[in-house]
Order: sequence, then structure tokens, then C-alpha cells
Amino acid sequence: MPDTLASLDRVSAAYDGAPALNEVCLDLPDGRIIAFCGPNGSGKSTALKVMRGLHRPDGGTVEIAGRMLGDWTQKDLARQVAMLSQSPDAPSDLSVGDLVLMGRFAHRSRFGGPSAADRAACDRALDITEMADLKGRALAQLSGGQLQRAWVAMTLAQDAPRIFLDEPTNHLDIAHAFELLDLVMHLSRSENRSFVIVLHDLNMAMRYADHVVLFEKGRIAANGPTTEVLTEEIISSVFGIDCRIMPLDGLERPVIVSWGKASGVGVSGQASGKMRKICT
Amino acid sequence: MMAGVSALVRLLPVMLLVSVLTLAATGIGSSFMPPDRVVAALAGQGSRMDEVIVWTLRLPRVALAILAGAALALAGALLQRVVRNPMASPSVLGITDGAAVGVVLFLWLFSDQANNLTVSIHWQPLAAIAGAAAFGALVIALASLDRGSSKPLKIILYGIALAALAKAAVTLLIILGPVYRASQALTWLTGSVGAAHWQDVLAVGLGLAAVIPVLLLQRLTIRQLVLDPQSAAVSGLSLDRAQVCLLAVAVFLTAMATAHVGAIGFVGLVAPHVARIFHGQFRSGYLFSVALTGSFLVLAADTLARIIAPPLELPAGALTALVGAPLFLYLLVKGRQSHA
Repeated sequence: MPDTLASLDRVSAAYDGAPALNEVCLDLPDGRIIAFCGPNGSGKSTALKVMRGLHRPDGGTVEIAGRMLGDWTQKDLARQVAMLSQSPDAPSDLSVGDLVLMGRFAHRSRFGGPSAADRAACDRALDITEMADLKGRALAQLSGGQLQRAWVAMTLAQDAPRIFLDEPTNHLDIAHAFELLDLVMHLSRSENRSFVIVLHDLNMAMRYADHVVLFEKGRIAANGPTTEVLTEEIISSVFGIDCRIMPLDGLERPVIVSWGKASGVGVSGQASGKMRKICT
Repeated sequence: MMAGVSALVRLLPVMLLVSVLTLAATGIGSSFMPPDRVVAALAGQGSRMDEVIVWTLRLPRVALAILAGAALALAGALLQRVVRNPMASPSVLGITDGAAVGVVLFLWLFSDQANNLTVSIHWQPLAAIAGAAAFGALVIALASLDRGSSKPLKIILYGIALAALAKAAVTLLIILGPVYRASQALTWLTGSVGAAHWQDVLAVGLGLAAVIPVLLLQRLTIRQLVLDPQSAAVSGLSLDRAQVCLLAVAVFLTAMATAHVGAIGFVGLVAPHVARIFHGQFRSGYLFSVALTGSFLVLAADTLARIIAPPLELPAGALTALVGAPLFLYLLVKGRQSHA
């Protein structure tokens, strides 16, 4: 397994001419939990889509798992990198079991039904997401949280060593959000799988990520080990809020507490200075 | 295998229905023939007269209705998957109208002053195929140029625009063309299996036979297309290639059917919906169920068309539309709720 999960070199991307990524350079280590954080519209989801070949960059090169993105076939890439996008959609009459089986598309033979390996992967994915009992249910009959877990199960059934998750905790209550990230942590530690997760909640990133990439206005504001990136100074300047980072008894990582808008004007100038320094 | 059993349980009644209707449709005509005589004639045990009626007059028509219905229904099911929209069908996407342009153009170009065709009428199917293929290729080309995320919706819009264009061209050609040919064109446009010969049956049958292996090999792809484009792509589907390939198959099926039976509408729209309700679109054998439903619809429409006002024979297309149009409206109204 190569040491680098993904390598972006001067990648720019836009939606219908509106720039989303601006000459981003980024190397991501393999075998870790990496969180993409940043304000809305800062380019974190775009970066994830570009890395998975879902959005064509306007410039720059993307290398993933040691090979240029364009050199992968769809199926080979799918066997290496699975991804759960932000708003996945399937017909409401599809059953949970059938959805999860669709996660096996890159593995299945053109002939005959699902193989023993296909069935085993699906059962396992259903088990660890606690969806096994709901296997026969139609998607229309699921709650928001169950639906999200069904999609997570489909993504896991793909059996890829690298998994991208775009805001996976979106429709989950706080207990299920923790459960999902505990699962991510477990899969990362026990099976050495890599995760890249777009997360809005900085405390979740603080608690679960090994490595954080902080985006700001289509560039990278900070990139490195979690506790080095998520500092009071950097968070304040990127999000424009005041915050404190405080240790809590019994927790390995501190928590971030914020009370809203920063009062100073000079803060954002400081941030752009920092940005330039990091991405050249 | 549970899945196989439940699929078979749902397929059997439709197969039975098509078989019974086949016997009835073969028996019904200017001289009614009871089922026992039909069976005897089919088995080669009937009277000489019965066998001539069944084998040269009735059966080609029945077989053509069955095959064309299956082809149109399959085309509809494929298109609905490709554009991820249950409102898609060969006629909505302008493929049927493309075939009409081909036929009207053919009738217009190859008629002389006395309204006689200057070439054999057997070239007409080829003209229909060319028209359908041209318009289908336009839809495919526009779709493959489009890299946006709203592509499935765009394909429908391209189709609607091209269908409108084709309809306008047909109207102009009919008004400008010779009067006698215009009425013939109109009959064809409504769709009819009345002029069926065994060679038509053979052509549509061969077309279907060529498509079946493709559908079998692509069955996982056809299923994967129900996912949103991003989820489908990350699961390993080459989306653009799958869409263009299946769009081409749908155009081929429509062209083959339309060329020989005319612009029979609504089968491609309605049959997949009926099969979805009675069979389930994710149960194995769904496409087979779609094909059988299409066969049933066109055969039923054509049989009704012969019974309603004998000796007048109404075009089958008029009757499928009569059933199909209200159903389409119903689906539109109901779809507003379920897709909200």
C-alpha cells in the first residue's frame, strides 16, 4: 500500500464558471482518518469530488493510491475507493438489502446471481450498521437516520480500503453521529482503512480525526495533525468566530467552545497571509 | 431460490393472459373461429381453409403485435432507467416522431404525379428506421455533449424539443405533400399492425433476438442506473458509456417496432409502469414482465380495434393512446406526490 492516499497538485475547479478550488496542493497520508473542515463554500466537498473523479478539475493533476486519476477504470477505482456523497438518492421502492447489494457492483460477475463473497460483504455491512433487521424494508419506510445508515452499509459493502464520506452525519441525531464515527474509528484501527470525511462539526473532527485539512475560500488554510490544525488562532481566523479550546477530564482530546462572531477586523487579513504561506 | 419463485409466480399470470389473448385474437375476424379450431390449425391438424386463415391472415398480425409490443415496452423501460425518470418513453423522447419524419419524407419523395409510389413500399420500414435513428442519434449526441449534473432531466428536454421539431416537420410535409399519400401517412402515424406479413414478424423478431443478450449482460448496469449519478459512478458504473449504450438499444428497439407497426404510442410509457406495480422493478424478471405487458397491451388494442366497428378496422395506436393517455395523466398527478 502506498504511503500517500491522494496527491493534488495545483488543482483548480469551478461550477459553471464559479471558482470552487484555487490551485490547491495537497498530500494526504494513507491509513488515517482525515477530516476536511471549513466554512460553507470553502471547497471541501469539491476537493472530495475531484479526488474521486466525480468533478472534472479545470487544471492541475490528481493522483490517487499511487496512480493518476485518469488512469483508473471506473470499476478498479471503485474497488479501491468507495464514497458516500452528500445527498444520495435511490427509488423509494428499493429494499435495503437490494441497495446494499448495489454496493457490490464493481465486484459482481456479469453472469448469475451474487457470489458467496458478495453475500458475505453485504451481511457484514448490514450487521455493523445495525441494519440487518431492516434488510427487507423499502427505503420509503425508513427514518432519516436509518436511511443514512442504509447508504453507509452500501458504501461499506463495496469493500474498498479507502472510503470518502461527504458530511455523513448530516441526517443523524447526535447519538447516531457518534456511533457512525465510532464505526469509522473502529474500521480504521482494526482494518487499517483510510477515511476522508467532510465534517462540519469541528468537535467531531477534533475527537475522531488523525489529520485535518482546513479549507478557506477554495484554498487550504491549514493542513496537518488534528491538534496542530484545530487551534484557537486558526479556527478564529478561518471561521471569523471567537473560541476557546479546553481539555476535559477523561477525554484524550480537548473540546472547542465558541460563542459567535469575532470582534476584531484584522483577523481575516491574518488568515489570508497564512494561506499564502501554506500553499506555494 | 425464493427470488426466482416469487418472480415466476408473478410472470405466470401475464404469460397465461398473453396466451389466452393470442388464441382469442387468432380466432376473431370476419369469420369467427372457436379456440379448438384455432388450436387444431396451429398444430397443423385443422381444415385447409382454417390453416390458411390462421397461418397467412391472422397469425402474422398477432405475432407482430406481440413482438412490437414487447420491443416498444422494453425501449420504454430502458429509457426510463437511462434518464431516471418514469415519464420517459420512445414518444416523449422524439424517437417515434423521428420515425414518422422518415416515413412521411419517404412517401413525399417517392410519389409521382398520380400519387403512386415510384419505389416499392417495402422500403418504408427502412425510412422509419433511418428517421428514428437520426433523431435518436441527435438525442444521444446532445446527451453525451452534456457534462452537467442535471443530465437526465436534460435528455428529456432535448427529446421533447426534438419531438416537437419532428411533429412540425411531419405536419408541414403532410400539408405540402400529395393528398392521397397524406391519408396513408396519417394511418401509419396512428399505428397499425393491420398490414402484417411474416417478413415483418421476422424483422422485428430478429431485432428483439439481437437485443436480448445485450440486456442479459447489462442487467446489473440497467439496475445500477436507478441510483443518483454520483452514487452510481462511485459504485463503479461508467455512467456515460452505460447511458449512451442503453439509449442506443432503446432507439434500435423503437425503430424496429415503429418501422413495421407505425407510431403506436404509450406502450413504452405504460408497460413499465404496469410491470412495476404488478411485478416490482427490482424483482428478477422485471424486463421480461415489461415485455409481456407490452405484448399484451398492443395485442389487446389491435384485437379491440378489429372488434369495435367491423368491417372498419381502427388503427391499434388509437386504442393504446385511448388507454394510455388517461393513465399518463394519472401518473403525472400521482407522481407529484411521491416525487415531492
